[in-house]
Amino acid sequence: MCRGKAVVPAGLAKRGPAMNDRLLLGRSIETGSWVHKLDPRSKLIGMLLYVAAILLSRSWPAMALLAVFSVVVAVSTRIPLQYYLKAAKPLRYLMLFIFIVQLLTVKEGAALLTIGSFSLHEAGLRLGAFAVIRTFLLVAFTALLTFTTTPARLNQGLEGILSPLRFIGFSPGRFTLMVSLALRFIPTILDEVQIVLKAQASRGADLSELPFKEKGRMLVTLLVPVIAGAFRRAQDLVYSMEARGFRMDAPRSRYHRLRWGWADTFFIAMFIMLGIAAAIL
Amino acid sequence: MAIQLQQVSYTYSERSLWRQTALHGIDFELPQGTMVGIAGATGSGKSTLLQLLNGILRPTQGTVSVLDITLRAGEKAPKLLPLRRRVGLVFQFPEQQMFAETVEKDLCFGPLNFGMSPDEARERACRAMLDMGLDLALLERNPFRLSGGQMRKAAIASVLAADPEIVVLDEPTASLDPVSRKELIGLLTRLCRERGRTVIIVTHRMDELLPYADRWVILDQGRSVFQGSVRELAADPSLLTRCGLAVPDSLRYWRAVADRLGLEDEEPRLTPEGLAELIVSRESGSSGRVGEKGTGHE
Amino acid sequence: MNERDRKGHSAEHGPDAIVLKDVSFGYDPENPILHGLSLRIPQGQWVSLVGESGSGKSTLVKLLNALLPKSAGEITVCGEKLSEESILSIRRTIGMVFQNPDNQFVGETVEEDILFGLEGLCLSREEMDRRLRLYAGKLGISGLLAKHPGELSGGQKQRVAIVSILAMEPGVVIFDEASSMLDEESRNGLLDILRDMHAEGYTILMITHDADEILASQRVLALCGGGLAGDMTPAELFRSPGLMEECRLHAPYAWELSRKLEALGLAIGVPASEKELVETLWPFNCSK
Repeated sequence: MCRGKAVVPAGLAKRGPAMNDRLLLGRSIETGSWVHKLDPRSKLIGMLLYVAAILLSRSWPAMALLAVFSVVVAVSTRIPLQYYLKAAKPLRYLMLFIFIVQLLTVKEGAALLTIGSFSLHEAGLRLGAFAVIRTFLLVAFTALLTFTTTPARLNQGLEGILSPLRFIGFSPGRFTLMVSLALRFIPTILDEVQIVLKAQASRGADLSELPFKEKGRMLVTLLVPVIAGAFRRAQDLVYSMEARGFRMDAPRSRYHRLRWGWADTFFIAMFIMLGIAAAIL
Repeated sequence: MAIQLQQVSYTYSERSLWRQTALHGIDFELPQGTMVGIAGATGSGKSTLLQLLNGILRPTQGTVSVLDITLRAGEKAPKLLPLRRRVGLVFQFPEQQMFAETVEKDLCFGPLNFGMSPDEARERACRAMLDMGLDLALLERNPFRLSGGQMRKAAIASVLAADPEIVVLDEPTASLDPVSRKELIGLLTRLCRERGRTVIIVTHRMDELLPYADRWVILDQGRSVFQGSVRELAADPSLLTRCGLAVPDSLRYWRAVADRLGLEDEEPRLTPEGLAELIVSRESGSSGRVGEKGTGHE
Repeated sequence: MNERDRKGHSAEHGPDAIVLKDVSFGYDPENPILHGLSLRIPQGQWVSLVGESGSGKSTLVKLLNALLPKSAGEITVCGEKLSEESILSIRRTIGMVFQNPDNQFVGETVEEDILFGLEGLCLSREEMDRRLRLYAGKLGISGLLAKHPGELSGGQKQRVAIVSILAMEPGVVIFDEASSMLDEESRNGLLDILRDMHAEGYTILMITHDADEILASQRVLALCGGGLAGDMTPAELFRSPGLMEECRLHAPYAWELSRKLEALGLAIGVPASEKELVETLWPFNCSK
């Protein structure tokens, strides 16, 4: 399973054409790097620590440290950096928006430009840039988690991290099963949406050709079949799981066991040090 | 010509890393009023081809001409609504695309979208029901309360209700029982023969369509490897095996009988009735000879 | 033909895999979906269950492992009586493969899907590994273990579903119209799998409309209006046009042809292949 050569996720190349771009997020890309082999729990905790480090960094040196750290770790996954860039791409307008808001509302520091009562300040520019860099790093870097971990492993890690909650009556197994089934069926249901859209377009209701007012009316022609389909699938799925002897919260063995190693401790330590450094700088 | 494809290729996600060509340089012409079967193994590009015929997909290379509308690769497409009214496309499991609370509303959806008046839409809906052999009393019913076979027919009727000149169906008989399958193919044949529609059916069960289709198009890995009449197809069924398709029983039996009797120029007999009649006519001929010998001996 | 008959006889003996005694099911007691059904299926037998849609076939097989609750009667599977306590154990004895190959795919990848059932059996990792390799190899999907369902064809997904079931090592396997959404080639592949399973001694109960599948089995149970309308061999079914009509079935091409020939006064029996037909009608030495 851990073949080193796969740069393009082997799965994507032959996947249904409509699904390619949509699924870049949330798909693991197998390269067999050391990060891939880590315990999913350490990766999850690492990502949380990373978020903390981002929130703690408030200076240019801290930003620089974050950036260098992120690039080094990302490179060590052997996944092309462009994939990380792509992961942040959907948020580019949000980032632009945050930048403009900061630029226009922060009125501290030296004025850079004044037109009548309107002025742009140095601090606005700086905070705007910080906000953009933080958002970008956050989204791009945390994609590492899904790039290097299959959904099933991720789920198992999540279940492991949440297991202390069992004592307050929360069932991590139930929660993660729900998540994994959702992950499994979302692509299928999105494909079904495509088919229904095409079918209704063939019957003269092309969403892209209709005036906006009509689009709302057409929604029901989409929703009824899609929801009916989802129910049908859910029913079939329940039969299929029950027929295989599945029962909620019944004991199960695990094929992939979680195993915490030295690399995991090292991974976490790295992030703790990053957080401390970011806070000091 | 109802449909003409010239050097048509289609590539999914053309500008991405995962570009994937589903069709390569397809050329064909389908005359109006014919019944056409399209067959091919999984992944041969059948479904892509269908979606080119009413502009759901546009060719990435070449020209698709349907009736008097032309879609050329790289050019801005004309308004597609008129094309879609004249070419009805029935997707796989069409009953899964029904949404209205009555069959009638579902059937009127298309005609109303295409700008017909409510009265006209209702009239068309009734005719479509009859074309699909359904009782008009079902119009009032909730489509989700119909039996599987009825629901399939009603869903097909909802496409026919727009009165298309060309009807294109993707595996219309999938997962129906054999009797319903035969019934449905019969209704579609009638639509072609009596109402003059061009009917194009994608199928992986060639058996059921063989006796009725005028022409066949066989696809293999995105290329068209055969186009022609049933007689031409029957002349060399091994072509199907090469494309990863099973040779239907009816074709195998016809080939064996035709080879033994040297019937190269005859129209293939692809139903059990047809073949049985032919066999009996030949058999009585030969038993006649035996009889003659017998009388000679006497 | 000979082979089929031989199997039919040998299966008469031996213990029963499935016994139904007066089993009924229905939400409305006035209008039950199944009423008072009794039947026995010996171990190792390959049975086709036929009937028009709504005749209760699908309901019947779902009663067997309590996916639906029976409203009356008694069900025994491999000597174990179905009750609240025995549900899990019976579900492990009976494997089910459903119609839509996409909707029974629980895991994110082929491997996970196969493991789903095995983890529920609380097997050791070594045992899971062994079964994974054994059954994936048998059905030729060893190369697909890391694939996602979206990358597989319908036929491949159905193979995965079967491996997921066989890996749990059930004695009885039920196919609920498992071939009806597959293309011709995959259907033939499935038939080969069924033949192998039969040879290995699995009890097979198969809901189907497919003439070739029915012909390959040993026994046909025809359901009609919630009751048993026929219990016979495939050959007997294909010689009863009335019952076939009722169950909305067609006979295989060779059988239809032979019936038409007989109607035209030429009784030559059912040819096993197109070669046999022409050899019977026009033997080479005679035509020369």
